[in-house]
Amino acid sequence: MLKRLLEYVGFEPGRFQARWISGSEGAKFTSTIKDLTEKIKSLGPNKKMRDDIL
Amino acid sequence: MEARVVNKGQLPELLDKLAKDYDLIAPVQEETVVLFRKISGGKDAFLEYTNSDVSPKGCFLPQNEKTFNYTYTGDSIEINKPEGAQKAVLFGARPCDIKAITTLDPVFEGEKFGDEYYSSKRENTVIIGLSCSKVLSTCFCYAFEGGPCDGTGSDLLFTEIGDKYYVEVNTEKGKALADAYSQIFSSQGADQLAKDKEELAKKLAGEFVRKVDLTGVKELLDNNFELAFWSGDEQKKCIGCGTCTYVCPTCHCFDIFDYPTGDFDGARLRCWDSCMYPEYTLMAGGHNPRPSRKERVRNRFMHKLKYHLDRYNMVGCVGCGRCVRKCPVNIDITKIINDLKEVAQNA
Amino acid sequence: MMDVIQQLREQAKKLLEEKKVDLVIGFGQGTELARTTPVFIDSPEGVSKLTWGPFCANNLAKYLTDYKNAPGNIAVVVKGCDSRSVIRLLDDNQISRDKVVVIGVPCPGQLEWQKVAAEVKPGAVLKETADNGESFSVKTDAGDYSFNKKDYMLHRCLVCENPNPVVADITIGKELPVKTYEERFAEVSELEQMNTEDKNAYWDKQFSRCLRCYACRNVCSVCTCQICVFDQMLPMWVSKRTNLSENTMFHITRAFHVAGRCVDCGECDRVCPMDIPLRKLNQKIHKDLGDLFDSPTPGSKPGIPSALGEFSPGDPEEFM
Repeated sequence: MLKRLLEYVGFEPGRFQARWISGSEGAKFTSTIKDLTEKIKSLGPNKKMRDDIL
Repeated sequence: MEARVVNKGQLPELLDKLAKDYDLIAPVQEETVVLFRKISGGKDAFLEYTNSDVSPKGCFLPQNEKTFNYTYTGDSIEINKPEGAQKAVLFGARPCDIKAITTLDPVFEGEKFGDEYYSSKRENTVIIGLSCSKVLSTCFCYAFEGGPCDGTGSDLLFTEIGDKYYVEVNTEKGKALADAYSQIFSSQGADQLAKDKEELAKKLAGEFVRKVDLTGVKELLDNNFELAFWSGDEQKKCIGCGTCTYVCPTCHCFDIFDYPTGDFDGARLRCWDSCMYPEYTLMAGGHNPRPSRKERVRNRFMHKLKYHLDRYNMVGCVGCGRCVRKCPVNIDITKIINDLKEVAQNA
Repeated sequence: MMDVIQQLREQAKKLLEEKKVDLVIGFGQGTELARTTPVFIDSPEGVSKLTWGPFCANNLAKYLTDYKNAPGNIAVVVKGCDSRSVIRLLDDNQISRDKVVVIGVPCPGQLEWQKVAAEVKPGAVLKETADNGESFSVKTDAGDYSFNKKDYMLHRCLVCENPNPVVADITIGKELPVKTYEERFAEVSELEQMNTEDKNAYWDKQFSRCLRCYACRNVCSVCTCQICVFDQMLPMWVSKRTNLSENTMFHITRAFHVAGRCVDCGECDRVCPMDIPLRKLNQKIHKDLGDLFDSPTPGSKPGIPSALGEFSPGDPEEFM
């Protein structure tokens, strides 16, 4: 639900992902993080909701 | 008092010039809402409005103001204040809103303590007002010594008369600006328009439909902090949002907090806050002198109708009517005033 | 609408005289012709303040949470959308059923007061209103007006799901036909189909106007947290700054916090002083709830647990 809401508001699809990984699923964790890292690297720096404070 | 005339057709040119030489802040329309924003040219200004949704007080008391940056350097702290205000022109504010700015002056430019952030903006901004051409059913500036064509607080006041603007020059600052753009501010024909302006002011004064009578209200509030009235419907229906305070041109409550951006640096910020929020008066020990809606609603109206007057000898409300328009549950200061008057009479 | 007003007053009087309730919360004439204001009546003589018509946009169910610990019983006047809030609050145990007497009034729609005020002579006094099917007639002491529903009603009323209250102890007025809409989520679909950049631009434009007045949060009948996350200073989830980043954070978080409990009453949208189309945000969640969990609008059927408050083995599991 949150993923859909974020995409609706303008985040690029794939920038936010939710995964259920149990403590014993080390391999799944590794591959998920690898995929996510590649995905967001390909999307480039996030421009949405950047803090503009200083 | 001096006066000038500006042709309506030349206004965009004037605004273009002002936008180049100053930070020009004027009303703009964003979808259905009218706000004050910095504009880059005359075409962005939207002047066919009755009153804006948010007041121009943000020009002097911005909703978010960074007071300084800080950085920990070894065993000391380095503080960097932002630059002082730029030269600016606030164009197109209505008389009620300009009067409201004058009510903020004693708060931030007091005898003992001055707010340099406010002062530097105030000094460097020329206020060009725009008289009203229409009175809304929610307007009641007359009740607080104001009027749709009142020049209090403005350096220059434009009043639209036919295809010209009658411009009253109210201060030295205003005169300096008018002289600087003398090719647009003409001295001819002003006397004739002065009469027209008087007519307009009279006509508009007759258009108010809200009857507000303050007789006896101040005395009642002076002598009675506790009134059964405050436990009534008004505080029951208030939902404690902050809308009235945020759209109000005379409200000036703020919160100061530090916002860290890392382990060793950050900024101190001064942002608008609202006395209608319970946390506003929540103290470190947990005590809250205004624990319920009743105290907070009472405080709001006591401030507008009594405290501001007591402290600064100036009205706390200018009758712009924004709170009346925007309150989700139709809490209406004019009704409260009239109800209080009745309470005073029946006492 | 006059006979509804008459009956409303009679029923309220009866409830107060028979001491079935200590308080009746209803609509009273406001300070503008086209507005009403919540009234709190605690004596039989006060019922003459009650009114009804196309200017009763407020969701009075909001006030139930204020009275949940009050000693006596409360009667509240609700429209269809408001009654969904009542169901939701009851299901959430925010107030007990035996404390509330629900006075339901079938509602043909509510008008946007600013649009009406722009047409009516300032200072006019309201005499009577009537529902004429496609329009409302509004009689004043300065003339009679007619407002067609399509152009003057609140947007939320154009896709009204429950014109008749879903729960009511007393119903006043005729039951109204229920319409179904193919295009209930038309505005959401339109936004969904935009590309990311356009969506971004659209919402950035809306959220940049936000004053963080919290009117949307405070008027919400299901926003019932005693200490709201946005009011906490330690930790400071959002500060008081109104920049785009924090405003967006506020709106996304709030929409998600009420997800599954928001009853789509549309009050948040109505009260926003900056005209931010908040319903488009909450409706997206309703659409997804329907698509993913087959969930009806929360509160539209009593006793159905919140879709996000319950797990069933058939729920989609995209995150596995």
